[in-house]
Order: sequence, then structure tokens, then C-alpha cells
Amino acid sequence: MANTEASLKEALTTIDGAIGAALVDYTSGMALGTVGGGKDLDLTVAAAGNTDVVRAKVRTLELLGLKDEIEDILITLGGQYHLIRLLKGRGNNGLFLYLALDKTRANLAMARHQLSGIEAALEV
Amino acid sequence: MTAEADVLGELRRLRARLPQVTGALAASADGLVLARETAGDEAEGVAALTAAALGVAQRLTDTTGQGAFRELLVRGERGYVATYAAGSSAVLTLLAEPRINVGRLHLEARRSSARVGALVDGALERLENA
Repeated sequence: MANTEASLKEALTTIDGAIGAALVDYTSGMALGTVGGGKDLDLTVAAAGNTDVVRAKVRTLELLGLKDEIEDILITLGGQYHLIRLLKGRGNNGLFLYLALDKTRANLAMARHQLSGIEAALEV
Repeated sequence: MTAEADVLGELRRLRARLPQVTGALAASADGLVLARETAGDEAEGVAALTAAALGVAQRLTDTTGQGAFRELLVRGERGYVATYAAGSSAVLTLLAEPRINVGRLHLEARRSSARVGALVDGALERLENA
């Protein structure tokens, strides 16, 4: 089990191409923790903006009547991948991990696999 | 175009960007309504209460050495009341639904309060020089 700070650091240091990571509470849109980012990627703005993305998709599933839940969301930009992974179980509802990757240096399959491992070990 | 109309325009644009904001008002630091964009007629009362809360908040940031007042967020069972400093003599107070994205509320309201502050401070300066 790892805490928020350690999990985010692990994501940033062990996942190839990672440029920023955040743990976000999508009931409020506020970040519980952020690492990386910088002036080119304001993670507070990303936390608030991606909260709307997650909420819209959760609502869409409700409207479609799909009795299922989101595992992750991938957004592909010209130069980056943005991965959103919702936390499951242990009273962690309403949180997601957000990871921004440099497309030229990242391995998407590996990043997704590693992020899933980090999520499973995360204790908030 | 008066400053009041400009401020009201800013409040309208803010509400358009954040549909879950149910009311917005700009008030002077001493509790007088400068512009409002609310459904009810509670604006005067809210502006007066904002001034009172602002007084306490300013003393609190002062005594604890946190510098000048920036913002105040109050969460009730049925929603939020948020107050942001706007320039040297005004504040922006917003009412919001409980489901609002607080992260976005802060981002949008901080930008908006800076613009409202510039408009109000500009108008005061013109009055002094007139």
C-alpha cells in the first residue's frame, strides 16, 4: 500500500514519458495531490477540467442505462496522451488518477498497465 | 458605458461559463451592492453579510500572518457561498449548487474577480480625478 504522494511520484518516475500526474476528487474538482506539470501544464486546471470530462461520461452511462463503470479514459492529443483512471473500491469512490504523457517517449500499453498497478496499491 | 454595466456584463459571462452558479454579485467592501445577477431580491442582505464576513476573514488572515484577504468558501447542506477579493475595495460573491466543480469555480471566479477589481478601481480613479 502506498500513499498519495508516493503513488504520484512513482507514476512520474517509473512510467516512461510521464510529464505530470494528479489525484483528483471529482465530486469537488480539486486535486488531492499533484506532481510534475509546471508552467506548460497547470495540473490544477487539468484537475478541474477533467472533472467535467469524468462527470459527463458517468452521466452518459446513466442516460444510456449501462449498468457498468468506467475503468479508464484515454485522450489522445497531437503531442501527448492524457490518461484518466478511476479509483475502485475501499471507499475510494469519486477519485481519479490523471496522467499526462509525452507521446514521443511513452509506451501507451505499458503506461496503462503500470498506472493500473499504481492504482491498485494506492491507499488514500 | 458605465462601470456598473461592465461589471454586470462580467457577472453574466461568469454565470454563462458556470451554469451551476445560481447567483453572482459584486459589492463594495463596506457592503453596498455594485452589480447583481441573481434571481431573488436577497442581494442587499447578502452584500451586507459579505461585508461582515469579510471583516472577520481579514482579521483572521492578518492575525495568523497570512497576508491580505483573497477568498472565502462556505459550504452549506444545499450549496456553496464563495467570496473573492476584487481589487482594493470590492468583492465578488457567488452562490453555487452543491454539485458544482469547486476547482473550476475557483479558476473562473479568480479571473473574474481580477477583471471586476480592475473595472471598479478604474471607475474610482476616474471619480477622484474628475
